[in-house]
Amino acid sequence: MKRIAIVEDEAAIRDNYKEVLQQQGYSVQAYPNRPTAMLAFNARLPDLAIIDIGLEGEIDGGFTLCQSLRAMSSSLPIIFLTARSGDFDTVCGLRLGADDYLTKDVSFPHLLARIAALFRRSELIGSSPIEDNLMIRNHLQIDGNRIQVTWKLQPIELTVTEFWMVHAMAKHPGHVRSRQDLMQEAKIYVDDSTITSHVKRIRKKFLAIDNEFDCIDTVYGMGYRWDSV
Amino acid sequence: MYLPLGLRAKVIILSLFLLCLPWLGYEYVWEMEKYLRHGQEKTLEGTTQALATALHERPKLFDNQASFLTQVQKGRDLYAYPLSGPIQLDGKLEDWQLYRHRKLHYGKEHIVYQQNAQQDINLNFTHMVGKYGGYLYGFFEVNDANVIYRSKNSLRVDRNDHLVMATLAPNNLFMRYVIANTKDGWLSAYQLPQDPTQSMPVIPENRIQGQWQKTANGYNIEFRIPLEMIGSKLGFAIHNVDDNEVRNLTYIVGTSATTSVAELGTVLVPSPEIESIVKGMGHNSSRIWVVDNHGRVLARSGDIRTSSNTWDIDLVDPKTESAWAHFHKQYLLPLYYKILTRPPQDFIDSLQDSTELSGSHIENALAGKQASTWRLTPDSKAVVLAAASPIWIDDKVMGVVIAEETTHGIRSLRNRALEKLFNVILTIMSMGTLALFIFASSISSRIRRLRDQAELAIDSQGRVKHQITPSRNRDEIGDLSRSFANIVGRLSQYTHYLENMSSRLSHELRTPVAVVRSSLEHLSNQSLDQTSKKYVNRAQDGVNRLHLILNNLTEATNLEASLLHAERTIFPLKKVIGGCMQGYQMTYPEQRFDVLIEDKLMMCNGVPEYIAQLMDKLISNAIEFSHPDTAISVRLNQHHKQAILKVTNIGPKLPEDMSEQIFESMVSIRPQMPTNKPHLGLGLYIARLVTDFHHGTIKASNVSGNVSRVLESQTDKTIPQSDELNQSGVEFRLILPLVETV
Repeated sequence: MKRIAIVEDEAAIRDNYKEVLQQQGYSVQAYPNRPTAMLAFNARLPDLAIIDIGLEGEIDGGFTLCQSLRAMSSSLPIIFLTARSGDFDTVCGLRLGADDYLTKDVSFPHLLARIAALFRRSELIGSSPIEDNLMIRNHLQIDGNRIQVTWKLQPIELTVTEFWMVHAMAKHPGHVRSRQDLMQEAKIYVDDSTITSHVKRIRKKFLAIDNEFDCIDTVYGMGYRWDSV
Repeated sequence: MYLPLGLRAKVIILSLFLLCLPWLGYEYVWEMEKYLRHGQEKTLEGTTQALATALHERPKLFDNQASFLTQVQKGRDLYAYPLSGPIQLDGKLEDWQLYRHRKLHYGKEHIVYQQNAQQDINLNFTHMVGKYGGYLYGFFEVNDANVIYRSKNSLRVDRNDHLVMATLAPNNLFMRYVIANTKDGWLSAYQLPQDPTQSMPVIPENRIQGQWQKTANGYNIEFRIPLEMIGSKLGFAIHNVDDNEVRNLTYIVGTSATTSVAELGTVLVPSPEIESIVKGMGHNSSRIWVVDNHGRVLARSGDIRTSSNTWDIDLVDPKTESAWAHFHKQYLLPLYYKILTRPPQDFIDSLQDSTELSGSHIENALAGKQASTWRLTPDSKAVVLAAASPIWIDDKVMGVVIAEETTHGIRSLRNRALEKLFNVILTIMSMGTLALFIFASSISSRIRRLRDQAELAIDSQGRVKHQITPSRNRDEIGDLSRSFANIVGRLSQYTHYLENMSSRLSHELRTPVAVVRSSLEHLSNQSLDQTSKKYVNRAQDGVNRLHLILNNLTEATNLEASLLHAERTIFPLKKVIGGCMQGYQMTYPEQRFDVLIEDKLMMCNGVPEYIAQLMDKLISNAIEFSHPDTAISVRLNQHHKQAILKVTNIGPKLPEDMSEQIFESMVSIRPQMPTNKPHLGLGLYIARLVTDFHHGTIKASNVSGNVSRVLESQTDKTIPQSDELNQSGVEFRLILPLVETV
């Protein structure tokens, strides 16, 4: 039984998520603030942590918590689930080592899909790629099971959201995918500029590996396109 | 004060009051001059008094003069004019030219004796006496048709033309002398007997020297007599004889009768004693006269022209040749002397060699009072001050001491004072004006700076752009600046609050929305009866709507945040706009677009995604306002270094005063139509943010008429031109700066 920790100061939301996850068969521990959460984490780490950024009087309590968790474990999946949709907070959260950053308007099924994906990824780490769910586009390999992307055989650390976006683009190379499409694929509902910044981050991650990378093409006014050539 | 003048000009005008300074100074100097003149008067009066004191009660000085006469008569009472040099006794009279104006003319009105009353008097003569070095000089220029000389062998001296001199000698003897020549040449002078009736015997008197010369009209007699032979009474008489045979005396014309002491006129010889006393005063700074009680000059000393130097002798500055002195000399003094007048050194002195003086001061002095007068020289070049004091002898005024000075000294002094005053005043005025000018300049520049800051602080759309830096100055302008800064600060805080309202609102709402949402999802997962399901669905719709609103709200905020650290690249605007338009054609298949993009790359420095976002907003705005079945026209042109994008739709016009405000956050001026989309008026605000980020400008304006024509030419579908509504619309004009393509 997977153990999921929810750190959220809003009781109603906390309980709602807790109940949903419990219905899905996860064991859920909910904490209203950082100190109590830290106490529990020091005793035992969960398999996955869902953290809100603003915690009872600590505006950036979630960030601090995320940092501490990363320090304890490098493989523990961490999801930010917060009302703060700003670019700055997103960048911050992801830089601190979170695996995904979601706003609270994400629907239960989408949240559950992500959680499932993350678990799958952590379970399959180190195992060999499974052929039937492997997509290969020139230098790009996408492993749908392990939620893993490699470029020229080098793994690229993507969040689940980013992974799904790359996946959506690479599925039909040469076809323009509108932002709307990418949103649906990534199971998030955000505004256009958030999508834009997501794509920017993806590009940066590829460029960090290969500074010649230019497969993600912006088609102005329409969307993005994966060019394998 | 509604004058269109700047502060500086006003202060300069006010500083014109400084011009009162020279006037004040001038007044002051004028007063000073008055006092100086008064002082000069008193000094002169003092001088005269001192001199008069030396002459009081010394009858000897006046005794032998005609001072005791109640009246003097010109012609009869002679005045021995002090001559400036000796006279050459040659009978030719050239030496007298200098004193021509002093000679007196004697004619029939000076007749002393006439043999026959019917006889015409055709003899006249001019005559004058003068004094030089102990001698009394004199001449007679006689016009006489028949000059009868004394016969060479006649003992009588009166049977011919002859001159008789009679005087009361200092030894109180009545002395008579006769000049009767036998021929031209050296005078033959004789002393007549004491008895006035006798003319014989005569004793030659060789102390009377001179010449007898015949002239065209008669004869000249030029003579001199030692002064000690002459008393204060003196008379000359020309005895005329016309007939060479009969040699009878026909008539006598003379200064006075010479037959008795009583009938004699007087002669006034300027007194050497008094002169020596006057000289002894050692006072040469002014001209000093001593006159008798008839105003006739007894003594004189000093020169009125040199007297002007006494006052300003100590004013002569040491010669300095500094730059200032040079400047002063070259530029200032000529300027000053346009106003001031230098006392002239050459003025006409009417009293240069007067023998008689008159004037109120003398009358006053003769009445026993000290007095002084001012008078102008005839050429009005100089003012002469004269002071007079009486000389008392036995309670009678016997004479007057007069001292005269020009006011040149005072005028020079005044000029000096005024020069200095003008220097000081010019300095003060220029410094004062300069100081005022600098002060006014600084104030006006500070005010202008403040104005500029205030202008800059708020842009044309009323948004606070910059803060005003409060001035540290502790004066009123500083106060103003501080209160401006306060106002702008508060305003910007409020604006900031308003602008952040959306993000804070969305942030605050997100949590409750999330609560509602998750709860609803829970509910929908339950097995519910139909009715409950219906309500749950409705609630979910509502929550979705709310969620959309929140997304819209945060879009602007997120954009603002991401603009802060966006990375600019150089991208072709043409491609972006072109791509966008293609996308819209696909997104809105039922909407017609009329696109015209100039075939130039139009490289722009910025973020293409944001430009695309801006286009989204403009196009969606245009579509929402567009009348159905009308096309939206999009034009992109390059104009010099700018790209001009026009997005025009046909539809309702903007209210006149809202063309700027529609780009503000949370401003929506659309007609309230029932729509399923939330309208927060953030779209155009985002457009403006992006435009500002690209240093461009965006404007909305109403257009009419030409829109439809453009559309007509572009589309084959004719547009009904029935009502004007179809032809008017709104045009958004975006101007973006381009970069040089290398």
